[in-house]
Amino acid sequence: MGRITLEKVTKSFGAVKVLHGIDLDIRDGEFIVFVGPSGCGKSTLLRQIAGLDKPTSGDIHIDGKHVNDVPAADRGLAMVFQSYALYPHMSVRQNLAFGLENARMPKAEIESRIAEAARMLEIGEYLDRRPGQLSGGQRQRVAIGRAIVRNPTAFLLDEPLSNLDAELRISMRAELSALHKRLETTMIYVTHDQIEAMTLANRIVVLRKGQIEQVGTPLELYNTPANRFVAGFIGAPSMNFLSGSIAAIGREGTTVTVLGEETLTVPRPADDGMVQQAIAVGVRPQHIRLAGPDQPGISAKVDLVEGLGSETVIHARASTGEPLLAVLAGQHALSSGEDIRLTFDAKDLHLFDEAGLRL
Amino acid sequence: MADNRKGFRSTAGSLVLAAVERIMGIIDIPLRGLQKVAGRTGMAAFFLLPNMAVFTIFVLIPFVINFVYSMTGGAQIFLDQRRYVGLDQYRQIFSCTDYLDPNSCIQDGFWIAAGNTAWFVVIQVALMILVSLITAIILNREIVGRSFWRAVFFFPVLLSPVVVGLIWRWILDRQGLLNFILYEAFGSEPFNWLTDRTTAFAATIGVSVWAHMGFYTLILLAGLQAIPKDLYEAAQMDGTSRSRVFRRITLPLLMPNLVVVLVLALIRAVQVFDEVFVLTHGGPGTSTMYLIQYIYETGFASELRNPGLAAAASILMGAVLVVLTLMQMAASRRKEKKGER
Repeated sequence: MGRITLEKVTKSFGAVKVLHGIDLDIRDGEFIVFVGPSGCGKSTLLRQIAGLDKPTSGDIHIDGKHVNDVPAADRGLAMVFQSYALYPHMSVRQNLAFGLENARMPKAEIESRIAEAARMLEIGEYLDRRPGQLSGGQRQRVAIGRAIVRNPTAFLLDEPLSNLDAELRISMRAELSALHKRLETTMIYVTHDQIEAMTLANRIVVLRKGQIEQVGTPLELYNTPANRFVAGFIGAPSMNFLSGSIAAIGREGTTVTVLGEETLTVPRPADDGMVQQAIAVGVRPQHIRLAGPDQPGISAKVDLVEGLGSETVIHARASTGEPLLAVLAGQHALSSGEDIRLTFDAKDLHLFDEAGLRL
Repeated sequence: MADNRKGFRSTAGSLVLAAVERIMGIIDIPLRGLQKVAGRTGMAAFFLLPNMAVFTIFVLIPFVINFVYSMTGGAQIFLDQRRYVGLDQYRQIFSCTDYLDPNSCIQDGFWIAAGNTAWFVVIQVALMILVSLITAIILNREIVGRSFWRAVFFFPVLLSPVVVGLIWRWILDRQGLLNFILYEAFGSEPFNWLTDRTTAFAATIGVSVWAHMGFYTLILLAGLQAIPKDLYEAAQMDGTSRSRVFRRITLPLLMPNLVVVLVLALIRAVQVFDEVFVLTHGGPGTSTMYLIQYIYETGFASELRNPGLAAAASILMGAVLVVLTLMQMAASRRKEKKGER
């Protein structure tokens, strides 16, 4: 079991309120990712769950048990730190055994757990080395191993891949995902990298300024972001936001004018009172394409072209001066200063009202 | 107006720059000539010359003279008036029927001082490390006015040893502050702390710990602060008791700093003199007479002064200090290696 429930959890440091009433239900066996920009409170939230900090108010339950006053060690959780937090003067074996020795576990049981974790993480040959003699990736495995041997109810991982190089990060990501599938234990993972969040998570919790902006599966967040912040945060490169207005609302959907140039009917209802209201029209760079000569579209001037081989990234500026980013499949012979016309499908548009909420 | 000021500044700046360039150009001429003769390595030696000269005059030559003195006898100061005695001074020092009984030695004063110093070193260093460690641990915590307390504990290090000795004499004298407080609080009769053998010895230890602990506390505090907070949090998650955290995490990670503190404290304790001399003058009797005081009194202060014997004693003490310094260097190297890992 590894169900974790947070009810109205707040955390303040002096006068500074870092978490503003977090409500969240983490299911048993789920891989949940807390994602958000620096300072959004994701690590603070993880520390409340771990028991390293105490919430200012609100309740935390693990498998139905109220744990606000339960010490970190007694919550049945294991944490993997961003810095690995391996004891530098101990061998890998001693690092793995340390927590189990604290619990006065029999030596044979400790040895068997270490052997199992070492086999699972392929660190058997490093057991007698010290952390200083290991590479970043190996240290990361040991840190995960130290969590595994405790056989926890849930794993808490605080940006565990952020100290690794890009290549290693990708392979460790896949290993973590495989490990979760094998262990079927709840994992709570903190990251500011939305690609990590998208690739690892069953569900993503997007945080901003100590509040949850949206909780959902990676594709839910990508396809139907609840607000402009989530829309801009999830997906790389970020979504474009263009000025627009609602021209009409009918049975087929909402007709919007984008940049005063192109009019499309988005198959999504809107409130009748919103006609003529200004809105933000979101379109992902991957959903933009070059318009044909007779096709409707918006005019733009190319600022910069990045040819990546399989795709071409175009930094452009619309006639209103608003920046536009388009990722076009394949190779395109465009150059800076060139006038182009861009288009997109109505179904790929995201509409946000003036408060930034999705229509 | 502002433009004028800016213009003046830039003109003044360029004038200074031009003057510096001119001076450097003048210095450059003989240096270039010298480099042609001496080569690049020779130039390095040339630039090291001032430091080497100071070291030679104030360290190397006195050391050699001291060694030569230790081979001579008599009370005369000038070397040309002193007679060569070979290793007689050393032989005299080591002439004992029982090395465990200073009174059986010809130079009993040396062995009494050496014995006192040995006891002083053992107790003072142990106490120094313990007190410094406890203080560093407390100062490393989130306590109110932490910076203030750090300054308070470091302050005695800044005092002159003579001032330290005088302050504590005023406190520990028969009519001093301590007796006054004890009288006011408990009505106790005044006690002469500095004329009782045990309390005087304890006082020299206590005062030197008080005077120097700030320095060692600082070294240990730096070591404690270098231990990542994450390790303690990992230990917390592992359910480690506080005593086990101290034994298994803090202490091993602080060990390089502790070794440095141990060796530095040992060296300093062997050299103890000034504050103790001001505090007790080595008394009562010879109970707080330490090696440096013995050397000083033998060489300069006693009526039957014997500079040769003092020189021999200082050479022997120097040998002990060399061993301790080598230990300190080895400890520092170990610390550097650990830092590289």
